[in-house]
Amino acid sequence: MPSIRVVNFSKYFGKVKAVDNVSFEVEDGEFVALLGPSGCGKTTTLLTLAGIYKPTAGEIYFGDQLVNDVPPKYRNIGMVFQNYALYPHMSVFENIAFPLRAKKLSKEEITKKVKTVAKKLMIDQLLDRKPMQISGGQQQRVALARALVKEPEILLFDEPLSNLDAKLRMLMRAEIKKLQSDLGITSVYVTHDQAEAMTMASRIAVFSMGKLVQYGTPDEIYDHPKNMFVAAFVGNPPMNFLKDFSVVSEGNSVYLQRGTSKLRLPDSRKGSLPEVVPEKVVVGVRPEDFRIERKEVDNGIPGTVYVLEPLGRDVIVNVRVENHEDEITKIFAEPGETFKPNERVYIVPNLEKVHLFDPETEETIL
Amino acid sequence: MSKSSSSYRLTFFQRNSQKIAQAVIITILVLITLPIIVGYVWLIVRSFSEDIVHGFIPTKLTLKNWRFLWQEMKGYPNIWQTTLNTFLLALGVMAIEIAITSMGGYVLSRYDFPGRSAMLKFILVLHAFPAISLMVAIFYVLWNIGLLDKLWGIILLKASLEIPWGSWIMKGFYDGIPWELEWAGLVDGYGRMKVWAKIMLPLVKPGMAVTAIFAFLSGWSEFIFVYTFIFSQKTWTLSRYVMGIIGDYRFADYGLLAAVGLFYVIPSIIFFFFVSKYMIKLTIGGVKG
Ligand SMILES: Nc1ncnc2c1ncn2[C@@H]1O[C@H](COP(=O)(O)OP(=O)(O)OP(=O)(O)O)[C@@H](O)[C@H]1O
Ligand SMILES: [Mg+2]
Repeated sequence: MPSIRVVNFSKYFGKVKAVDNVSFEVEDGEFVALLGPSGCGKTTTLLTLAGIYKPTAGEIYFGDQLVNDVPPKYRNIGMVFQNYALYPHMSVFENIAFPLRAKKLSKEEITKKVKTVAKKLMIDQLLDRKPMQISGGQQQRVALARALVKEPEILLFDEPLSNLDAKLRMLMRAEIKKLQSDLGITSVYVTHDQAEAMTMASRIAVFSMGKLVQYGTPDEIYDHPKNMFVAAFVGNPPMNFLKDFSVVSEGNSVYLQRGTSKLRLPDSRKGSLPEVVPEKVVVGVRPEDFRIERKEVDNGIPGTVYVLEPLGRDVIVNVRVENHEDEITKIFAEPGETFKPNERVYIVPNLEKVHLFDPETEETIL
Repeated sequence: MSKSSSSYRLTFFQRNSQKIAQAVIITILVLITLPIIVGYVWLIVRSFSEDIVHGFIPTKLTLKNWRFLWQEMKGYPNIWQTTLNTFLLALGVMAIEIAITSMGGYVLSRYDFPGRSAMLKFILVLHAFPAISLMVAIFYVLWNIGLLDKLWGIILLKASLEIPWGSWIMKGFYDGIPWELEWAGLVDGYGRMKVWAKIMLPLVKPGMAVTAIFAFLSGWSEFIFVYTFIFSQKTWTLSRYVMGIIGDYRFADYGLLAAVGLFYVIPSIIFFFFVSKYMIKLTIGGVKG
């Protein structure tokens, strides 16, 4: 299986810069997710990998071969489209057999391969039906079977689960991941669902407005987001942002201060601060990195409980920060703790894990 | 309880409003189509009767009016030759139009070639332009390429006049097919031509059927070009034959006229029954396999 190398790739549609100077690599057998909001250029990138679009600029390599001008049929890729793109006039069998017919395999071989892959995906009962006569989840499996049957070297997925209901989505998520790791096929998976990207991919490329913002493992993306966009996009509920803090040094210590709230940065972290820090910074704290106290404590920020969102196992406590009414922080409560609306509390960030951002550039400072 | 049920009590008209509406619609439709139905009934009755009195009452059953089928009519070409010509004209126009519009519609729908939008607008304008105003120019062209008085000339002429609009119709059908299907075909290992033939073409079948119907019927019923550009009787088509009988000053044989007229419409009715299932499937531009 080849690796994929995308070098300074851009794709313009007239004046629209759908993808703008993007570079990344996918290793042999790796599962990479392209993650980003609607319209950020994920599908465009994927279709260029498939050979359907040609890059406006830049190079695409499969292994060490430049494939910019190689038409799709010579690329040996399998692709699963968002709306499955099954051929409505062909039976399920014919749909799956279609890529094999292009290879001019014998009738027996085609039947054998189609049956094998259909069995693996549990659609062998449906081979005689037309795509219109099976459910969305089944269509999804047929699309997957069609992509797999030709034993491709590269698999491309364009939001393959977004039309399924939540339960089926979780199931297919695990199944696709298992299938991919069993077969070891180099895969690129487009999604706008951060949970899908986090759970399935070994590396995630986060896109925003045609640009690749950050490329790294799920842990890197989660723990060290490159800017506020990534920080807000990855994680559910998203990271909380507290604005207008100043960074002040007093003696040997560094504090983050806003009004009466004063947070002391641990010594282990203050060394990583850059020389020059903007006058005001944004403090970012993940919902699990807050503690809620009922009495005033060091590093506590006063607020009132606004609303509770029980999730069964966890409870998300929404706390409205005092004097900053627009800041409603979402916090995972410790197990067993209960709060009531309008209760006065102090929220205490884990300062080992807080993030600091420049409010102008939105880049990460710490 | 009783109060709420009483509020659901309806008058006769309210209860049967749907049926009444249906009855009214059917009555109106019958009234509108009545003259046409009466016309056809008259045609059938007249063609099988010796004479007709009081406009509608047949006198004596006869096959005499259909004699043109088995005996040579003086002053007219052989009916079977004429029928064959008409079929050749209709099928020729249909074949050429299908072949070209199924490709032209695809290109109009999928390729962004220079001048595309100008061409689309031009087709619309062209469609509003009566072909009859081109008569002299067409005569000149046909004469120059030696297709005057030839069936081929009429076939090519009819087809070329209808291809632009037909391509536009086919474009609508291609527009209804998502790009993803085409992309899937490319990824599955086929070139663009193969994808067109194996995926796109089967999906625009209803469009091709509709184009076929209109092309066939327009060829079958073509009169003015045949009348103008065909001189030899052996190249006549049925419309010209009917015209010959109407225009016969010696006597007006209504029985013969009715029989020939009926003979003329039979094939188009049969043809319509064959393809009407596609007509019903047709919902402007939308195609479902
Ligand atoms: N064929 C095209 N012509 C013109 N603009 C296009 C074309 N395809 C995509 N674009 C534009 O390029 C940008 C990126 O589109 P793309 O389809 O790659 O987004 P995406 O990340 O896949 O979004 P989504 O999650 O909604 O599918 C969008 O602004 C879109 O409008
Ligand atoms: Mg997309």
